Amino acid sequence: MPVNEGFVPKIQVFEPHRASLPPLIPYIKEFWTRRAFATELARFSDKAEYLDSRLGKVWLVLNPLLLGLVYYLVVTIIRPGGTLPGMTRLDHLLIGLFTFYFAQNCVTAGALSITAGGRLILNQAFPRALLPFSCAIQSFQQFIPTIPVYIFVLVAGKWAYPTTIVPGWTWHFLWIPFILICAGITGFGLALVFATLNVYFRDTTKLLTYITRIWMYLSPVLWLPSSLRGNMKILLWVNPLGPVLSATSRVWVSGESLNKSTILGCILWAAAAMMIGGYFFISRERDFAIRI
Amino acid sequence: MPEELAIRIENLSITYKVSLEAKRTLKNAVMRASLKQKERTRMIEAVKGLTLDVPHGSVLGIVGSNGAGKSTLMRCIAGILSPTEGRVIVNGKISTLLALGVGFNPALSGRDNIILGGLASGLNMEEIADKTDEIAAFAALPDGFIDLPVRTYSSGMYGRLSFAVAVSMTPDILLLDEALSAGDAAFKEKSFERMRELCAEARTIVIVSHALATVTDLCDTAIWMHKGALVAKGKPQEIVDDYLKFLNVGSLPSNYEDM
Repeated sequence: MPVNEGFVPKIQVFEPHRASLPPLIPYIKEFWTRRAFATELARFSDKAEYLDSRLGKVWLVLNPLLLGLVYYLVVTIIRPGGTLPGMTRLDHLLIGLFTFYFAQNCVTAGALSITAGGRLILNQAFPRALLPFSCAIQSFQQFIPTIPVYIFVLVAGKWAYPTTIVPGWTWHFLWIPFILICAGITGFGLALVFATLNVYFRDTTKLLTYITRIWMYLSPVLWLPSSLRGNMKILLWVNPLGPVLSATSRVWVSGESLNKSTILGCILWAAAAMMIGGYFFISRERDFAIRI
Repeated sequence: MPEELAIRIENLSITYKVSLEAKRTLKNAVMRASLKQKERTRMIEAVKGLTLDVPHGSVLGIVGSNGAGKSTLMRCIAGILSPTEGRVIVNGKISTLLALGVGFNPALSGRDNIILGGLASGLNMEEIADKTDEIAAFAALPDGFIDLPVRTYSSGMYGRLSFAVAVSMTPDILLLDEALSAGDAAFKEKSFERMRELCAEARTIVIVSHALATVTDLCDTAIWMHKGALVAKGKPQEIVDDYLKFLNVGSLPSNYEDM
Protein backbone atom coordinates (compact mmCIF):
# COMPACT_ATOMS: atom_id res chain seq x y z
CA MET A 1 0.00 0.00 0.00
CA PRO A 2 1.40 3.42 -0.88
CA VAL A 3 2.34 5.74 1.89
CA ASN A 4 -0.20 8.52 2.34
CA GLU A 5 0.46 12.12 1.40
CA GLY A 6 1.92 14.15 4.19
CA PHE A 7 3.45 11.12 5.84
CA VAL A 8 6.83 12.19 7.13
CA PRO A 9 9.01 9.14 7.67
CA LYS A 10 11.09 9.14 10.76
CA ILE A 11 13.44 6.21 10.81
CA GLN A 12 14.58 4.94 14.15
CA VAL A 13 17.00 2.08 14.59
CA PHE A 14 17.09 0.16 17.86
CA GLU A 15 20.25 -1.87 18.35
CA PRO A 16 22.10 -3.32 21.32
CA HIS A 17 24.22 -0.71 23.06
CA ARG A 18 27.81 -1.46 22.15
CA ALA A 19 29.16 0.76 24.87
CA SER A 20 26.86 0.83 27.86
CA LEU A 21 25.65 4.32 26.93
CA PRO A 22 23.20 5.02 24.09
CA PRO A 23 24.28 7.68 21.54
CA LEU A 24 24.30 10.80 23.71
CA ILE A 25 23.59 13.53 21.14
CA PRO A 26 20.23 12.03 20.01
CA TYR A 27 19.42 11.40 23.68
CA ILE A 28 20.06 15.02 24.65
CA LYS A 29 18.13 16.27 21.58
CA GLU A 30 15.16 14.09 22.50
CA PHE A 31 15.42 15.27 26.11
CA TRP A 32 15.36 18.90 24.97
CA THR A 33 12.47 18.32 22.52
CA ARG A 34 10.33 16.86 25.29
CA ARG A 35 11.26 19.36 28.00
CA ALA A 36 7.66 20.64 28.00
CA PHE A 37 6.65 17.23 29.34
CA ALA A 38 8.94 17.72 32.35
CA THR A 39 7.71 21.24 33.07
CA GLU A 40 4.04 20.30 32.75
CA LEU A 41 4.54 17.15 34.83
CA ALA A 42 6.10 19.36 37.53
CA ARG A 43 3.19 21.79 37.33
CA PHE A 44 0.57 19.05 37.48
CA SER A 45 2.36 17.16 40.27
CA ASP A 46 2.44 20.37 42.28
CA LYS A 47 -1.26 20.87 41.59
CA ALA A 48 -2.09 17.27 42.58
CA GLU A 49 -0.04 17.51 45.77
CA TYR A 50 -2.07 20.40 47.17
CA LEU A 51 -5.44 19.53 45.59
CA ASP A 52 -6.89 17.85 48.67
CA SER A 53 -5.41 20.30 51.16
CA ARG A 54 -7.72 23.00 52.55
CA LEU A 55 -4.89 25.52 52.79
CA GLY A 56 -3.61 24.52 49.33
CA LYS A 57 -0.50 26.32 48.22
CA VAL A 58 -0.34 28.34 51.46
CA TRP A 59 1.61 25.30 52.68
CA LEU A 60 4.39 26.26 50.28
CA VAL A 61 5.01 29.27 52.57
CA LEU A 62 3.88 27.78 55.88
CA ASN A 63 6.02 24.66 55.55
CA PRO A 64 9.42 26.38 55.28
CA LEU A 65 8.44 28.97 57.87
CA LEU A 66 7.47 26.34 60.46
CA LEU A 67 10.54 24.30 59.57
CA GLY A 68 12.75 27.34 60.11
CA LEU A 69 11.07 28.01 63.45
CA VAL A 70 11.61 24.42 64.62
CA TYR A 71 15.30 24.44 63.77
CA TYR A 72 15.75 27.92 65.22
CA LEU A 73 14.33 26.73 68.52
CA VAL A 74 16.58 23.67 68.36
CA VAL A 75 19.78 25.62 67.77
CA THR A 76 19.00 28.41 70.21
CA ILE A 77 18.19 25.89 72.96
CA ILE A 78 21.26 23.75 72.23
CA ARG A 79 23.66 26.63 71.66
CA PRO A 80 22.24 29.93 72.88
CA GLY A 81 24.12 33.10 72.09
CA GLY A 82 26.66 32.89 69.27
CA THR A 83 28.64 35.47 67.39
CA LEU A 84 25.95 36.82 65.07
CA PRO A 85 24.05 39.94 66.16
CA GLY A 86 20.24 40.22 66.41
CA MET A 87 18.29 37.85 64.23
CA THR A 88 21.17 37.25 61.79
CA ARG A 89 21.56 33.70 63.07
CA LEU A 90 17.94 32.96 62.13
CA ASP A 91 18.47 34.55 58.69
CA HIS A 92 21.51 32.36 58.05
CA LEU A 93 19.60 29.29 59.20
CA LEU A 94 16.51 30.06 57.12
CA ILE A 95 18.20 30.71 53.79
CA GLY A 96 20.56 27.76 54.33
CA LEU A 97 17.63 25.53 55.17
CA PHE A 98 15.58 26.67 52.16
CA THR A 99 18.49 26.13 49.77
CA PHE A 100 19.32 22.77 51.35
CA TYR A 101 15.68 21.64 51.09
CA PHE A 102 15.58 22.71 47.44
CA ALA A 103 18.50 20.38 46.68
CA GLN A 104 17.23 17.68 49.04
CA ASN A 105 13.76 17.70 47.45
CA CYS A 106 15.38 17.28 44.02
CA VAL A 107 17.08 14.15 45.38
CA THR A 108 14.26 12.58 47.40
CA ALA A 109 11.45 13.23 44.90
CA GLY A 110 13.74 12.33 41.98
CA ALA A 111 14.75 9.07 43.67
CA LEU A 112 11.11 7.95 43.63
CA SER A 113 10.29 9.25 40.17
CA ILE A 114 11.21 6.12 38.20
CA THR A 115 9.52 3.54 40.40
CA ALA A 116 6.47 5.81 40.68
CA GLY A 117 6.34 6.33 36.90
CA GLY A 118 5.96 2.60 36.24
CA ARG A 119 3.08 2.61 33.76
CA LEU A 120 4.49 5.53 31.82
CA ILE A 121 7.83 3.73 31.58
CA LEU A 122 6.21 0.48 30.47
CA ASN A 123 4.21 2.24 27.81
CA GLN A 124 6.35 4.88 26.16
CA ALA A 125 9.89 5.42 25.02
CA PHE A 126 11.26 8.77 26.14
CA PRO A 127 14.44 9.86 27.91
CA ARG A 128 13.77 8.61 31.43
CA ALA A 129 15.90 11.41 32.91
CA LEU A 130 12.89 13.67 32.21
CA LEU A 131 11.16 12.21 35.28
CA PRO A 132 13.81 13.21 37.88
CA PHE A 133 14.28 16.45 35.92
CA SER A 134 10.61 17.19 36.39
CA CYS A 135 11.10 16.69 40.15
CA ALA A 136 13.99 19.18 40.08
CA ILE A 137 11.71 21.73 38.39
CA GLN A 138 8.98 21.09 40.94
CA SER A 139 11.49 21.51 43.78
CA PHE A 140 12.58 24.84 42.30
CA GLN A 141 8.94 25.96 41.98
CA GLN A 142 8.46 25.11 45.65
CA PHE A 143 11.66 26.98 46.57
CA ILE A 144 10.52 30.26 44.94
CA PRO A 145 7.87 31.15 47.60
CA THR A 146 10.52 30.78 50.32
CA ILE A 147 12.37 33.88 49.01
CA PRO A 148 9.63 36.35 50.10
CA VAL A 149 9.41 34.44 53.41
CA TYR A 150 13.14 35.01 53.91
CA ILE A 151 12.90 38.70 53.00
CA PHE A 152 9.94 39.15 55.36
CA VAL A 153 11.80 37.52 58.26
CA LEU A 154 14.89 39.61 57.46
CA VAL A 155 12.97 42.90 57.51
CA ALA A 156 10.91 41.93 60.58
CA GLY A 157 14.11 40.87 62.37
CA LYS A 158 15.75 44.21 61.62
CA TRP A 159 12.68 46.04 62.92
CA ALA A 160 12.57 43.99 66.14
CA TYR A 161 16.35 43.77 66.67
CA PRO A 162 18.12 46.72 64.99
CA THR A 163 21.54 45.03 65.33
CA THR A 164 20.47 42.37 62.79
CA ILE A 165 22.73 42.45 59.71
CA VAL A 166 20.79 43.43 56.59
CA PRO A 167 22.96 43.83 53.52
CA GLY A 168 21.87 46.72 51.30
CA TRP A 169 21.59 46.26 47.55
CA THR A 170 24.84 44.95 46.09
CA TRP A 171 25.82 43.56 42.72
CA HIS A 172 27.04 40.48 44.58
CA PHE A 173 23.43 39.35 44.67
CA LEU A 174 23.94 38.44 41.01
CA TRP A 175 25.71 35.34 42.35
CA ILE A 176 22.35 34.04 43.59
CA PRO A 177 21.24 32.53 40.22
CA PHE A 178 24.67 30.85 39.96
CA ILE A 179 24.27 29.35 43.45
CA LEU A 180 20.75 28.09 42.71
CA ILE A 181 21.74 26.59 39.37
CA CYS A 182 24.65 24.75 41.03
CA ALA A 183 22.36 23.54 43.86
CA GLY A 184 19.76 22.35 41.32
CA ILE A 185 22.29 20.57 39.10
CA THR A 186 23.96 18.90 42.10
CA GLY A 187 20.55 17.79 43.39
CA PHE A 188 19.48 16.53 39.96
CA GLY A 189 22.75 14.61 39.49
CA LEU A 190 22.36 12.92 42.88
CA ALA A 191 18.69 12.22 42.11
CA LEU A 192 19.82 10.28 39.01
CA VAL A 193 22.04 8.08 41.20
CA PHE A 194 19.34 7.38 43.82
CA ALA A 195 16.56 6.94 41.24
CA THR A 196 18.64 4.21 39.56
CA LEU A 197 19.51 2.57 42.88
CA ASN A 198 15.85 2.59 43.87
CA VAL A 199 14.94 0.58 40.76
CA TYR A 200 17.36 -2.17 41.83
CA PHE A 201 16.93 -1.90 45.61
CA ARG A 202 13.49 -0.76 46.71
CA ASP A 203 14.59 0.20 50.22
CA THR A 204 16.94 2.91 48.90
CA THR A 205 14.47 5.68 49.69
CA LYS A 206 14.20 4.48 53.30
CA LEU A 207 17.96 4.76 53.62
CA LEU A 208 17.82 8.13 51.88
CA THR A 209 15.72 9.52 54.76
CA TYR A 210 18.65 8.98 57.12
CA ILE A 211 21.28 10.01 54.56
CA THR A 212 19.61 13.38 53.99
CA ARG A 213 19.23 14.00 57.72
CA ILE A 214 22.92 13.31 58.36
CA TRP A 215 23.73 15.33 55.24
CA MET A 216 21.96 18.37 56.68
CA TYR A 217 23.76 18.15 60.02
CA LEU A 218 27.08 17.98 58.14
CA SER A 219 26.13 21.02 56.02
CA PRO A 220 26.64 24.65 57.04
CA VAL A 221 22.96 25.19 57.76
CA LEU A 222 22.63 24.84 61.54
CA TRP A 223 26.19 26.09 61.99
CA LEU A 224 28.34 28.73 60.31
CA PRO A 225 31.07 27.79 57.80
CA SER A 226 33.45 30.05 59.76
CA SER A 227 32.91 28.00 62.93
CA LEU A 228 34.93 25.08 61.52
CA ARG A 229 38.54 24.86 62.65
CA GLY A 230 41.57 22.93 61.35
CA ASN A 231 40.90 19.60 59.65
CA MET A 232 37.16 19.97 60.17
CA LYS A 233 37.14 22.48 57.30
CA ILE A 234 37.27 19.51 54.96
CA LEU A 235 33.54 19.04 55.72
CA LEU A 236 32.86 22.00 53.45
CA TRP A 237 34.55 20.32 50.49
CA VAL A 238 33.63 16.62 50.78
CA ASN A 239 29.97 17.55 51.10
CA PRO A 240 28.36 18.01 47.63
CA LEU A 241 26.38 20.98 48.99
CA GLY A 242 29.20 22.37 51.16
CA PRO A 243 30.44 25.02 48.69
CA VAL A 244 26.89 25.95 47.61
CA LEU A 245 25.72 26.46 51.19
CA SER A 246 28.86 28.43 52.14
CA ALA A 247 28.17 30.61 49.11
CA THR A 248 24.50 30.96 50.12
CA SER A 249 25.34 32.30 53.57
CA ARG A 250 28.03 34.61 52.18
CA VAL A 251 25.89 36.22 49.49
CA TRP A 252 22.38 36.21 51.04
CA VAL A 253 23.29 37.04 54.64
CA SER A 254 26.50 39.06 54.35
CA GLY A 255 26.06 40.47 50.82
CA GLU A 256 29.67 39.54 50.05
CA SER A 257 31.17 38.26 46.81
CA LEU A 258 32.34 34.66 46.36
CA ASN A 259 35.98 33.67 46.46
CA LYS A 260 37.51 31.57 43.70
CA SER A 261 37.71 28.37 45.71
CA THR A 262 33.99 28.48 46.57
CA ILE A 263 33.04 29.15 42.94
CA LEU A 264 35.26 26.28 41.82
CA GLY A 265 33.82 24.01 44.53
CA CYS A 266 30.24 24.76 43.40
CA ILE A 267 31.09 24.08 39.74
CA LEU A 268 33.10 20.92 40.42
CA TRP A 269 30.44 19.31 42.60
CA ALA A 270 27.68 20.16 40.10
CA ALA A 271 29.76 18.75 37.22
CA ALA A 272 30.76 15.63 39.18
CA ALA A 273 27.16 14.93 40.30
CA MET A 274 25.87 15.33 36.73
CA MET A 275 28.58 13.19 35.16
CA ILE A 276 28.41 10.36 37.69
CA GLY A 277 24.61 10.50 37.98
CA GLY A 278 24.14 10.88 34.22
CA TYR A 279 26.38 7.91 33.40
CA PHE A 280 24.88 5.70 36.10
CA PHE A 281 21.30 6.52 35.08
CA ILE A 282 21.48 6.66 31.28
CA SER A 283 23.57 3.50 30.98
CA ARG A 284 20.88 1.59 32.88
CA GLU A 285 17.64 3.26 31.85
CA ARG A 286 16.79 0.70 29.14
CA ASP A 287 16.77 -1.83 31.94
CA PHE A 288 14.10 0.04 33.93
CA ALA A 289 11.13 -1.39 32.01
CA ILE A 290 12.26 -4.90 32.97
CA ARG A 291 13.01 -4.13 36.61
CA ILE A 292 9.85 -2.16 37.41
CA MET B 1 15.21 -0.37 4.54
CA PRO B 2 12.65 -0.54 1.69
CA GLU B 3 10.31 2.46 1.72
CA GLU B 4 7.15 0.33 1.85
CA LEU B 5 8.11 -1.15 5.21
CA ALA B 6 6.97 0.36 8.51
CA ILE B 7 8.87 -2.08 10.73
CA ARG B 8 11.79 -4.36 9.99
CA ILE B 9 12.95 -6.78 12.65
CA GLU B 10 16.25 -8.51 11.96
CA ASN B 11 17.28 -11.58 13.95
CA LEU B 12 16.03 -10.01 17.16
CA SER B 13 16.87 -11.58 20.50
CA ILE B 14 16.05 -10.10 23.88
CA THR B 15 17.53 -11.71 26.94
CA TYR B 16 17.46 -10.39 30.45
CA LYS B 17 18.33 -11.44 33.92
CA VAL B 18 15.69 -11.57 36.63
CA SER B 19 16.33 -11.87 40.33
CA LEU B 20 14.81 -14.86 42.12
CA GLU B 21 15.14 -13.15 45.50
CA ALA B 22 11.86 -12.47 47.30
CA LYS B 23 12.86 -8.88 48.03
CA ARG B 24 15.43 -6.83 46.15
CA THR B 25 16.70 -4.60 48.94
CA LEU B 26 20.01 -3.02 49.87
CA LYS B 27 19.77 -4.83 53.20
CA ASN B 28 19.61 -8.23 51.47
CA ALA B 29 22.43 -7.25 49.11
CA VAL B 30 24.66 -6.29 52.06
CA MET B 31 23.73 -9.50 53.91
CA ARG B 32 24.57 -11.59 50.84
CA ALA B 33 27.87 -9.77 50.36
CA SER B 34 28.83 -10.33 54.02
CA LEU B 35 28.05 -14.05 53.70
CA LYS B 36 29.83 -14.17 50.32
CA GLN B 37 26.67 -15.44 48.67
CA LYS B 38 25.65 -14.66 45.11
CA GLU B 39 22.24 -13.34 44.13
CA ARG B 40 19.99 -16.07 42.73
CA THR B 41 19.13 -15.03 39.18
CA ARG B 42 17.70 -16.55 36.06
CA MET B 43 18.26 -15.63 32.42
CA ILE B 44 15.04 -15.13 30.48
CA GLU B 45 15.18 -15.45 26.70
CA ALA B 46 12.06 -13.43 26.00
CA VAL B 47 12.57 -13.19 22.21
CA LYS B 48 14.77 -15.57 20.21
CA GLY B 49 16.11 -14.79 16.73
CA LEU B 50 12.93 -13.23 15.37
CA THR B 51 12.91 -11.79 11.85
CA LEU B 52 9.87 -9.99 10.49
CA ASP B 53 8.82 -7.24 8.06
CA VAL B 54 5.66 -5.21 8.53
CA PRO B 55 4.58 -3.06 5.57
CA HIS B 56 2.89 0.35 5.89
CA GLY B 57 -0.89 0.21 6.09
CA SER B 58 -1.04 -3.33 7.42
CA VAL B 59 -2.49 -4.73 10.62
CA LEU B 60 -0.36 -7.40 12.21
CA GLY B 61 -1.84 -9.55 14.94
CA ILE B 62 0.33 -11.40 17.43
CA VAL B 63 -1.02 -14.45 19.23
CA GLY B 64 0.64 -16.70 21.75
CA SER B 65 0.35 -18.01 25.27
CA ASN B 66 1.48 -16.11 28.35
CA GLY B 67 5.27 -15.81 28.38
CA ALA B 68 5.51 -16.07 24.58
CA GLY B 69 7.41 -12.76 24.40
CA LYS B 70 4.63 -10.73 22.75
CA SER B 71 4.76 -7.75 25.11
CA THR B 72 8.57 -7.77 25.17
CA LEU B 73 8.59 -7.70 21.37
CA MET B 74 6.13 -4.78 21.32
CA ARG B 75 8.21 -2.85 23.84
CA CYS B 76 11.30 -3.41 21.74
CA ILE B 77 9.53 -2.11 18.61
CA ALA B 78 8.49 0.95 20.65
CA GLY B 79 12.11 1.51 21.75
CA ILE B 80 11.27 0.92 25.41
CA LEU B 81 13.49 -2.16 25.68
CA SER B 82 16.84 -2.61 24.03
CA PRO B 83 17.65 -5.62 21.82
CA THR B 84 20.29 -8.03 23.09
CA GLU B 85 21.07 -9.09 19.52
CA GLY B 86 19.81 -8.07 16.10
CA ARG B 87 18.00 -4.83 15.44
CA VAL B 88 14.65 -3.18 14.90
CA ILE B 89 14.13 -0.44 12.32
CA VAL B 90 10.99 1.63 12.61
CA ASN B 91 9.85 4.03 9.91
CA GLY B 92 7.33 6.44 11.40
CA LYS B 93 5.97 8.00 14.56
CA ILE B 94 4.87 5.44 17.13
CA SER B 95 1.96 5.60 19.50
CA THR B 96 1.56 2.89 22.10
CA LEU B 97 -1.01 1.40 24.36
CA LEU B 98 0.96 -1.29 26.09
CA ALA B 99 -0.51 -0.84 29.56
CA LEU B 100 -3.90 0.60 30.42
CA GLY B 101 -4.18 3.93 32.17
CA VAL B 102 -0.72 4.85 31.08
CA GLY B 103 0.83 7.85 32.75
CA PHE B 104 -2.42 8.80 34.37
CA ASN B 105 -2.28 10.55 37.72
CA PRO B 106 -5.56 9.63 39.45
CA ALA B 107 -5.69 12.92 41.37
CA LEU B 108 -5.70 14.98 38.16
CA SER B 109 -8.57 15.53 35.74
CA GLY B 110 -8.97 13.64 32.48
CA ARG B 111 -8.03 16.82 30.60
CA ASP B 112 -4.77 17.20 32.57
CA ASN B 113 -3.95 13.55 31.97
CA ILE B 114 -4.55 13.88 28.24
CA ILE B 115 -2.05 16.77 28.20
CA LEU B 116 0.54 14.68 30.08
CA GLY B 117 -0.03 11.62 27.88
CA GLY B 118 0.26 13.74 24.73
CA LEU B 119 3.44 15.49 25.86
CA ALA B 120 5.03 12.17 26.84
CA SER B 121 4.34 10.83 23.36
CA GLY B 122 6.06 13.83 21.78
CA LEU B 123 3.17 16.15 20.82
CA ASN B 124 3.30 19.86 21.58
CA MET B 125 0.75 21.83 23.60
CA GLU B 126 -1.06 23.25 20.55
CA GLU B 127 -1.50 19.81 18.98
CA ILE B 128 -2.83 18.43 22.27
CA ALA B 129 -5.20 21.37 22.82
CA ASP B 130 -6.69 20.68 19.37
CA LYS B 131 -7.25 17.03 20.23
CA THR B 132 -8.52 17.17 23.82
CA ASP B 133 -12.23 17.52 22.99
CA GLU B 134 -11.93 14.95 20.21
CA ILE B 135 -10.35 12.48 22.68
CA ALA B 136 -13.05 13.12 25.29
CA ALA B 137 -15.75 12.60 22.67
CA PHE B 138 -14.15 9.39 21.37
CA ALA B 139 -13.79 8.01 24.90
CA ALA B 140 -17.53 8.72 25.31
CA LEU B 141 -17.04 10.23 28.77
CA PRO B 142 -20.28 11.44 30.38
CA ASP B 143 -20.80 15.22 30.46
CA GLY B 144 -18.32 17.09 32.62
CA PHE B 145 -16.21 14.01 33.46
CA ILE B 146 -13.31 15.30 31.41
CA ASP B 147 -12.69 17.91 34.12
CA LEU B 148 -13.13 15.53 37.07
CA PRO B 149 -10.27 13.62 38.72
CA VAL B 150 -9.52 10.34 36.96
CA ARG B 151 -9.96 8.47 40.28
CA THR B 152 -13.71 9.12 39.94
CA TYR B 153 -13.82 7.24 36.60
CA SER B 154 -15.16 3.72 36.22
CA SER B 155 -12.66 1.15 34.92
CA GLY B 156 -14.41 1.23 31.54
CA MET B 157 -14.06 5.02 31.28
CA TYR B 158 -10.42 4.75 32.31
CA GLY B 159 -9.70 2.16 29.62
CA ARG B 160 -11.63 4.05 26.93
CA LEU B 161 -9.71 7.23 27.73
CA SER B 162 -6.37 5.37 27.46
CA PHE B 163 -7.36 3.94 24.10
CA ALA B 164 -8.66 7.30 22.85
CA VAL B 165 -5.36 9.01 23.75
CA ALA B 166 -3.32 6.34 21.94
CA VAL B 167 -5.34 6.42 18.69
CA SER B 168 -5.69 10.18 18.60
CA MET B 169 -1.97 10.92 18.45
CA THR B 170 -2.05 10.48 14.63
CA PRO B 171 0.56 7.74 14.82
CA ASP B 172 2.19 6.21 11.77
CA ILE B 173 2.53 3.02 13.78
CA LEU B 174 0.13 2.06 16.55
CA LEU B 175 1.16 -0.65 19.00
CA LEU B 176 -1.70 -2.09 21.05
CA ASP B 177 -1.50 -4.69 23.79
CA GLU B 178 -4.77 -6.16 25.10
CA ALA B 179 -6.37 -2.77 24.71
CA LEU B 180 -9.64 -3.85 23.21
CA SER B 181 -10.87 -5.50 26.36
CA ALA B 182 -11.27 -1.98 27.76
CA GLY B 183 -14.74 -1.09 26.56
CA ASP B 184 -18.13 -2.64 25.95
CA ALA B 185 -19.32 -4.07 22.62
CA ALA B 186 -20.28 -0.63 21.25
CA PHE B 187 -16.89 0.84 22.12
CA LYS B 188 -15.12 -2.19 20.68
CA GLU B 189 -16.93 -1.63 17.37
CA LYS B 190 -15.99 2.06 17.48
CA SER B 191 -12.36 1.22 18.19
CA PHE B 192 -12.33 -1.26 15.26
CA GLU B 193 -13.74 1.50 13.07
CA ARG B 194 -11.03 3.92 14.19
CA MET B 195 -8.31 1.36 13.51
CA ARG B 196 -9.69 0.69 10.05
CA GLU B 197 -9.56 4.45 9.39
CA LEU B 198 -5.94 4.51 10.51
CA CYS B 199 -5.15 1.68 8.09
CA ALA B 200 -6.93 3.49 5.26
CA GLU B 201 -4.52 6.38 5.89
CA ALA B 202 -1.62 3.93 5.40
CA ARG B 203 -0.90 3.79 9.09
CA THR B 204 0.32 0.53 10.55
CA ILE B 205 -1.07 -1.34 13.52
CA VAL B 206 0.50 -4.14 15.52
CA ILE B 207 -1.90 -5.72 17.96
CA VAL B 208 -1.43 -8.32 20.66
CA SER B 209 -4.66 -9.96 21.67
CA HIS B 210 -5.92 -13.02 23.44
CA ALA B 211 -9.32 -12.30 21.88
CA LEU B 212 -8.71 -14.32 18.72
CA ALA B 213 -11.81 -12.93 17.01
CA THR B 214 -10.11 -9.53 17.09
CA VAL B 215 -7.15 -10.94 15.19
CA THR B 216 -9.30 -12.57 12.50
CA ASP B 217 -11.64 -9.56 12.17
CA LEU B 218 -9.08 -6.82 12.06
CA CYS B 219 -5.70 -8.13 10.98
CA ASP B 220 -4.44 -8.89 7.48
CA THR B 221 -1.43 -10.86 8.74
CA ALA B 222 -0.80 -12.70 11.98
CA ILE B 223 2.14 -14.28 13.72
CA TRP B 224 2.17 -16.90 16.45
CA MET B 225 4.89 -16.72 19.06
CA HIS B 226 5.82 -19.45 21.49
CA LYS B 227 8.49 -19.15 24.20
CA GLY B 228 10.11 -16.22 22.44
CA ALA B 229 10.30 -17.78 18.97
CA LEU B 230 8.23 -17.21 15.87
CA VAL B 231 6.20 -20.38 15.23
CA ALA B 232 4.25 -19.30 12.19
CA LYS B 233 3.32 -16.32 10.07
CA GLY B 234 0.42 -16.14 7.66
CA LYS B 235 -3.24 -15.36 7.15
CA PRO B 236 -4.96 -14.59 10.47
CA GLN B 237 -7.57 -17.37 10.17
CA GLU B 238 -4.92 -20.03 9.50
CA ILE B 239 -2.70 -18.84 12.32
CA VAL B 240 -5.60 -18.68 14.76
CA ASP B 241 -6.75 -22.20 13.72
CA ASP B 242 -3.23 -23.59 14.23
CA TYR B 243 -2.92 -21.80 17.55
CA LEU B 244 -6.30 -23.10 18.75
CA LYS B 245 -5.30 -26.61 17.71
CA PHE B 246 -2.11 -26.20 19.72
CA LEU B 247 -4.09 -25.01 22.73
CA ASN B 248 -6.31 -28.09 22.51
CA VAL B 249 -3.69 -30.68 21.56
CA GLY B 250 -0.59 -29.09 23.05
CA SER B 251 1.76 -29.86 20.19
CA LEU B 252 3.48 -27.36 17.92
CA PRO B 253 3.26 -27.66 14.10
CA SER B 254 5.63 -30.23 12.60
CA ASN B 255 7.50 -27.54 10.66
CA TYR B 256 8.18 -25.53 13.86
CA GLU B 257 11.76 -26.79 14.08
CA ASP B 258 12.43 -25.40 10.59
CA MET B 259 11.25 -21.89 11.44
